Amino acid sequence: MMSDIIPFSEFFTNPIFSIATIACMLMCFASSLIGVITFVSRRSLIGETLAHATYPGVALALTIGGLFAKNFEAVFPLAILVGAFVGGFIGLKAMLYLEEKLSINSDTALCFVLSVSLGLGVLLASRLQFSNPVWYQKLQMLLYGQAATMLFYHVILYAVLSLLVVFAIVFLFPGMKISYFDPDFASRMGVSQKWIGYTTKILFVLAVVIGLRSTGVVLLSGMLIAPAVAARQFSKTLKEMFVWSAIFGTVSGFLGNYLSVQAGVLLRESYPSLKAGLPTGPLILIVAAFIAFISLLLSRERGFIPRLYRIYKFQRKCLLENILKELYKKEGSLSLKKVRKLYHLSRLKAYLLVWMLERQGIWQKKGRSLELTEKGYKKAERVVRLHRLWEVYLFDYLGIDAANVHQSAEEMEHILTPELEKELTRLLRNPKRDPHNQIIPGEGVTV
Amino acid sequence: MSNHSYWGVEFFSFFKIFFHQMFLLLTGKASLGSLTSDEIQILMLAMLGISCAIVGSFLILKRMAMVANSLSHTVLVGIVVALVVMRALLGDSYSAFHVDMKVLFIASLLSSLLTAYLTDFLYRVLRLQKDASTGLVFTTLFAVGIILVTLFTKNAHIGAEVIMGNIDMLHSDDLKMGFYLLVMNLSLLLLFFKEYLITSFDPQFGKLSRFSNRFFTYLLLFQTSATVIGAFRAVGVVLVLALLVLPVLTARLLTHRLYKMIILASAVSLLSALVGVALARHILSVYNIALSTGGVVVMTQFGFWGIALIFSPSKGALTRLLTRRRLKAKLATC
Repeated sequence: MMSDIIPFSEFFTNPIFSIATIACMLMCFASSLIGVITFVSRRSLIGETLAHATYPGVALALTIGGLFAKNFEAVFPLAILVGAFVGGFIGLKAMLYLEEKLSINSDTALCFVLSVSLGLGVLLASRLQFSNPVWYQKLQMLLYGQAATMLFYHVILYAVLSLLVVFAIVFLFPGMKISYFDPDFASRMGVSQKWIGYTTKILFVLAVVIGLRSTGVVLLSGMLIAPAVAARQFSKTLKEMFVWSAIFGTVSGFLGNYLSVQAGVLLRESYPSLKAGLPTGPLILIVAAFIAFISLLLSRERGFIPRLYRIYKFQRKCLLENILKELYKKEGSLSLKKVRKLYHLSRLKAYLLVWMLERQGIWQKKGRSLELTEKGYKKAERVVRLHRLWEVYLFDYLGIDAANVHQSAEEMEHILTPELEKELTRLLRNPKRDPHNQIIPGEGVTV
Repeated sequence: MSNHSYWGVEFFSFFKIFFHQMFLLLTGKASLGSLTSDEIQILMLAMLGISCAIVGSFLILKRMAMVANSLSHTVLVGIVVALVVMRALLGDSYSAFHVDMKVLFIASLLSSLLTAYLTDFLYRVLRLQKDASTGLVFTTLFAVGIILVTLFTKNAHIGAEVIMGNIDMLHSDDLKMGFYLLVMNLSLLLLFFKEYLITSFDPQFGKLSRFSNRFFTYLLLFQTSATVIGAFRAVGVVLVLALLVLPVLTARLLTHRLYKMIILASAVSLLSALVGVALARHILSVYNIALSTGGVVVMTQFGFWGIALIFSPSKGALTRLLTRRRLKAKLATC
């Protein structure tokens, strides 16, 4: 139904959607930037632990606040922020203490801090549940996040915090770059490790605090990881990675919100009994993870499928060149059966190969055998030439025994480029015979 | 059950009543059905605790504690899918989060395989670094789980109970599951102790001795997710991590032998179940504050860890203090 599709622009103009959407986008923006840092320092799981560490912090802040402040409702949002920040920071400190002082491995330390802080959090929360059920509800909300109920001040808050993160990163960037990749070199360059370390720690905690409200404790770590994973696929430098990650994060923040509302509308149509739409936090994460997955598969340089394709292409090139070489040695004609047997080709594969190269004019099928065309002959000649040139090079320049040069040449003949061929020809003064006293075909270049 | 025998009881008299009741139970004078909620909690936590101590020991030795964290999230997907399967087979009578043995088995098999396979796929095939693969897989699967729950229960609100459990809702039927889990973990431990020992400490040697490292890793993952799901109703999927990690780390401070470590960790679990529940009852009776029993038990375990940290023969603060004193005295006599 067309009327049910909400246009994108609604999400920025209509205040019902725009507050949640913009706040989520800002949050995703900030956490995806910090995610790059956790990713390159190989501490991607830290977000998970810190997110759980904020929980007792907030619970404690609410409990204490409830005991002392008279008009606590007014400072409530501040109490959540401060509590989360302090909790996260203590969690981080505890983790580092366990790792460094008690030499517990980082994996166990992460799990230790996570579970103890959640235990403490649950304890405090259960106390709060009876003393102040309303605040308890709000505390529980942090576990899964609740994007839809955000108010305008959240937008301002996240905007300020995001700006803070951006400033910190831009300001620290030069030192950060060196110290993440080579701490020893950085300290010799006079970059203050302590300073960078402290800011990084604060950034980690800040990311968690920012993310709490929209995606919640449980899914937050995903929002740190997924955009950075996607960004890694497209970037060669740290700077590029920050930019890509921010883009992916913000886009998933938007799409998550969009899908949440849109799917909710469509679902209610078919299931009127459904009380609410799909939760926003999980959808944001699913979008981000989807982007990451697609990038892992398809990105041009590092993606899985392009990599497979490159491998396939190279293997085919080798196969083809080997067949051409064989044809050349057999004076341009070879039975198809022999080719299949030599290169272990299935009937179908052989058929496809023969058909494709016939179309390219490399060879012709005559009866049961293959015959090279003029063009194919030239190609074959070049492969043989490269093979034998390399043998000469190994023999003359590296002093390798003539009996042992063949194996290396078998591999190099597929890799040598026309430029290298020219260089070799010049270097070897356009030889006519290889170490096995076979003729080197082709014209070569005039010396 | 407001009129049961633990109502308004203090810390030490709690144990007196508890052991008396247990004695009655063992001698057959009381039946399982007559157990009070406190007794059920202690028995469940003790059985779960021993299961967790066994599984946790190997998880920590294999440095797979965060894998347990992954599993504790992904079991949600497993449970939802298992419930959908059960509903399709048995009709609508299956209520949400009703976990029985069949669901437990399907769900833990599914979630452990799914998590392990996907993480491995990202790491090996797509060449993502290991920490990021782990993090990406479990958060995404958990998000999928939440959405599935929302769709199937037609209610966006999934309670905090998934994370924290609700120990007060346990009844004596749940004890059966805890018991089966304990039997499974114990018998696998006795059966494969040597194999687990070798594959955790020296996978290379394991390979040479023709043990399949992969098989034992997957078996451990299966045990972990089964234990996590078994603990699901009692302490929730995240607090169970504490049961997996804390007693083992406590035991590790005190000994370096594997079998001693497992026994000690089980003892710590047992003790903290007793003390934790009694403490929660004491606080309720004396101060009239109802605290989450699961939380109290975890903090009790944390307390035990702290005590072990002081008295540990290898890393303890006390040992260090004594050594320093002795050295000082030695220097003085020189």
